[in-house]
Amino acid sequence: MEWQKLTVFTSNEAVAAVANLLLESGVAGIQIEDAADLNKIKAKYGEAVAAQAPVTNGAQVSAYFQSELPDLSTLQQHVTDLAQFGLDPSPARVEVTADDDSTWKDNWEAYYHPLRVTRYLTVAPSWSDYQPQQVQEQVIRLDPGQSFGTGTHPTTVLSLEALEQTVRGGESMIDVGTGSGVLSIAAKLLGAADVAAYDVDQVAVVAAQKNIALNPDAGEIKTGINDLLKGIVTPVDLIVANILPEALLPLIPQAKALLNPNGHFLLAGIIAARGPEIQAALEASGFQVVQQLTHAGWVALIAEHAGKDE
Amino acid sequence: MAKKVAHIVKLQIPAGKATPAPPVGPALGQAGINIMGFTKDFNARTADQAGMIIPVVITVYEDRSFDFITKTPPAATLLKKAAGVEHGSGEPNTNKVAEVTKDQVKQIAETKMQDLNAADVEAAMRMVEGTARSMGFTVKD
Repeated sequence: MEWQKLTVFTSNEAVAAVANLLLESGVAGIQIEDAADLNKIKAKYGEAVAAQAPVTNGAQVSAYFQSELPDLSTLQQHVTDLAQFGLDPSPARVEVTADDDSTWKDNWEAYYHPLRVTRYLTVAPSWSDYQPQQVQEQVIRLDPGQSFGTGTHPTTVLSLEALEQTVRGGESMIDVGTGSGVLSIAAKLLGAADVAAYDVDQVAVVAAQKNIALNPDAGEIKTGINDLLKGIVTPVDLIVANILPEALLPLIPQAKALLNPNGHFLLAGIIAARGPEIQAALEASGFQVVQQLTHAGWVALIAEHAGKDE
Repeated sequence: MAKKVAHIVKLQIPAGKATPAPPVGPALGQAGINIMGFTKDFNARTADQAGMIIPVVITVYEDRSFDFITKTPPAATLLKKAAGVEHGSGEPNTNKVAEVTKDQVKQIAETKMQDLNAADVEAAMRMVEGTARSMGFTVKD
């Protein structure tokens, strides 16, 4: 995908004013590269800095546009005019360059390596020829693309651990907000019988389908676009959701209605500070939290119907 | 031994709404970070500040792990809040839309001094005052 990158070359002291000029033009965000930043970081980290300054003098403030750019002559005038307000805008240059997302979208893949994330599960990039090192080790092969779920994020690790503890074999399961499909694939490899993976984002559903195809040992997994559990009526034994609290809160009553009496509800994507709020919402909906898992400032909860038969 | 810092990335993006699109995508993609991993973390930590633009500084280490810190809102946002307006002026030379006091400028300068890379409070005040004037704000004693 092609973008146009608009960069204002200026001085350190005009950065706040230039940033405001760009943000007032309605962009979704800006990047600031300020030569003074690296000096400050070097003073803080000393020898531990391998970074080379991308900007060695002054500062650059950048924004990206997919369609119409703001009026460049007006922007240039506003930047030049900063001198009238006591700021040095020099060199006060406005530049537009083409930026193709293929130059940055997949760079991180070079740093994505196979990782044993739980006792039984290893996540490996699809381009690696990693083979299991132990008999009981299950390998999930992933090409996450632009979808969440490389298997290495703390919330995914917690979700995989929760699945490993909960799945006994033969369960029916729904994966809400499947992203890359990693949790659905893991559940199947752990023995779940019937898994459906839903996401509200079509990009994620396509990514999940590709990853399911990369893992033939997992067998068939149903996929589809769906907003949480809306419209789903067939009860299941297990519901897993690694999404943010804003989406978990409306999901809780839906899950309560859909979960079989002895079923489990696994919730992740919860930053530690919001754990009590989610737990309270679960309890208010008639769930009981039977286990809490924590890792690197994140929480996952395993819940079941309150008062169910043991 | 501490991990080596490979990149420092500085962005100003909407709280709770980071996406892999620019500026997040190119800034972090070029640094070798898993973009979706960052957006999930950032959105989770800033969801309670929805509607605000949040400055964030991401430290990328040589193994491409990262951490980030979110900062107080940008100087221009603090100025608008102090003046009680939503936007600056499109014609700051001729159309003055608000006023702030020197004390307010000083307070914002003290809050933002580190983020502005200012050598001292006076330098930070000059930056904040200039930013205020560039937005069509009058600065009064």
